[in-house]
Amino acid sequence: MMIWKMRLIVPVLLIAAVSVQGGTVYLSFNQHSTRNLFQTRDPVADQISSFSLSFDQDFAAFSFLSNLEYSAFRDISGLSFFAAGIGLDYLKAAGKKSAFYFAGGGTGAFYRQEYGAFSSLSANLLGAFKSYLAPSSILKLQWQGAYAVYKDSLFDHWSQSASLSVDKYFQTRTTFKADAEWGYKYFLHPFLPEPVEPLTEPVATIAAPNGMGMGTGTGSGQGWGDQQYQGGNGFLPRYSSEGGGAGIGHVSLSLLAAQGIGDAVGLSASAVQQWIVTGGNPFLSIEEFYLVQNPSADSFSWEGRQFTGRITLNLPWSVELKAGYTYSDKTYPGVESMSLEGVPLGIVRNDLRHLFEARLEKNFRRVSLFLAYSWVDNRSSDPLFVWKSHFLMGGFEWNLPTGRKGGAS
Amino acid sequence: MSNKAVVLRFLAVLVAGAAAAQPGGQFYNVDKEVRIEGPVREIILEPRYKGTAPFLVLGVEDSASAKRYNVEVSPSWFFGQDIHGGEKVKVVGSLSETPRSVPTIIARELQLRGETFKLRDKRGFPNWQGGPQRKRGIRRFGSS
Repeated sequence: MMIWKMRLIVPVLLIAAVSVQGGTVYLSFNQHSTRNLFQTRDPVADQISSFSLSFDQDFAAFSFLSNLEYSAFRDISGLSFFAAGIGLDYLKAAGKKSAFYFAGGGTGAFYRQEYGAFSSLSANLLGAFKSYLAPSSILKLQWQGAYAVYKDSLFDHWSQSASLSVDKYFQTRTTFKADAEWGYKYFLHPFLPEPVEPLTEPVATIAAPNGMGMGTGTGSGQGWGDQQYQGGNGFLPRYSSEGGGAGIGHVSLSLLAAQGIGDAVGLSASAVQQWIVTGGNPFLSIEEFYLVQNPSADSFSWEGRQFTGRITLNLPWSVELKAGYTYSDKTYPGVESMSLEGVPLGIVRNDLRHLFEARLEKNFRRVSLFLAYSWVDNRSSDPLFVWKSHFLMGGFEWNLPTGRKGGAS
Repeated sequence: MSNKAVVLRFLAVLVAGAAAAQPGGQFYNVDKEVRIEGPVREIILEPRYKGTAPFLVLGVEDSASAKRYNVEVSPSWFFGQDIHGGEKVKVVGSLSETPRSVPTIIARELQLRGETFKLRDKRGFPNWQGGPQRKRGIRRFGSS
């Protein structure tokens, strides 16, 4: 039904977008292949086809942004989702060397079947200021806030973050950048009410959908339509008689050094250290899925460090190669490691991850083709999350300008 | 009338509207494309066209001729990319010269730090997208 609707809706939206003078339409198609969709020790392979249509339109100093996306999972069809977003942004100069940027928007994501609990509506705001302290030095300030409601109300939250960065470019073609960030995320009601009869087994073991391995979690059954989220592996909410919300806040510092070599090579190395300064994760466990925004795990949920090295090669015939390696050591406060039988091990979950990524891109006149490969080795104090896997992705992006824009075309 | 017929009729009306709405003239002149290469000497944000956001404009000194050009980039690049004074760039774009003023290049392609950025297609139609708002989203393996 969804695919049939897309066949009808997409051409209409595409032509409608093209008919508006001065905008740009972007079409992209990505094909993904993963051997470990749920990123656990019990690998589940899948193929994902993602289609997106974006449209940008300028109105004076404002830009209107819109996006539609549909991702179809071949085997775990319940994870197939449709997403739509709209936004408006505004650039305001503050002299010749500085500017403010403001943006606001809303997004809806809609999942099918057993993953309907991930369906959400969200609103976000962003404000930023950038100024050249000197021609070779840039100061940036940014704040962003978000509010999201989910079909499973356990995940409802608001969040905000603020960052400050300063960089300096040297004639040796070296750039140094320092960045400081503060962030806070507040789950509005992440706890399940205490059951009337005390549970002898605090953790209910469930079979994950479509025989993808055993899970150790349960959903809340709250929210729209009593949809229960059963997760792909081991999502565990907490019980609380007091109810209420729970927050988690962090501060982070990051440093980056970049070096240009000749005309075709760019190198960079960066390090991030993050500390949780208040609260903790409200859930007993968290999980990450490939390609799916899982509300229990994101940049707010960990403390630790991350090191990244990257190389960019600008090859002949408009071919670009990017490759990188990231090592991360992340601890998730509030999340206890468990044995495969669901017995708490008495240690906070800690993951050490090696990630290698490479991306090859060829640009044609209006179309970009790319092929990307990733390899992940994740070691965790929770044996369910000890895994290694490959990810392969290929696709194209096509842009179609629809008339004059910026007075220069 | 079937759904299909309604959709086709709707599309036909929109296509006709689009054709009628095409602009007559273009500022980007493909016959005046030039290539320059040199260090960025000045970075400014200034209004370039009525009714649009201010543009990022780079003052670039061509290494071959020692001549100074104003390179018009795009509005969103001011926040989307961090370009510094002294950085070496290669520019492909349409040259516009008027007496007693610094010649301007409307950039179609910009190369810096080993990366090539396509700002416009070969006919000069803009490719650029919005600012930081567009850069958010799900972190995916393999994404740039």
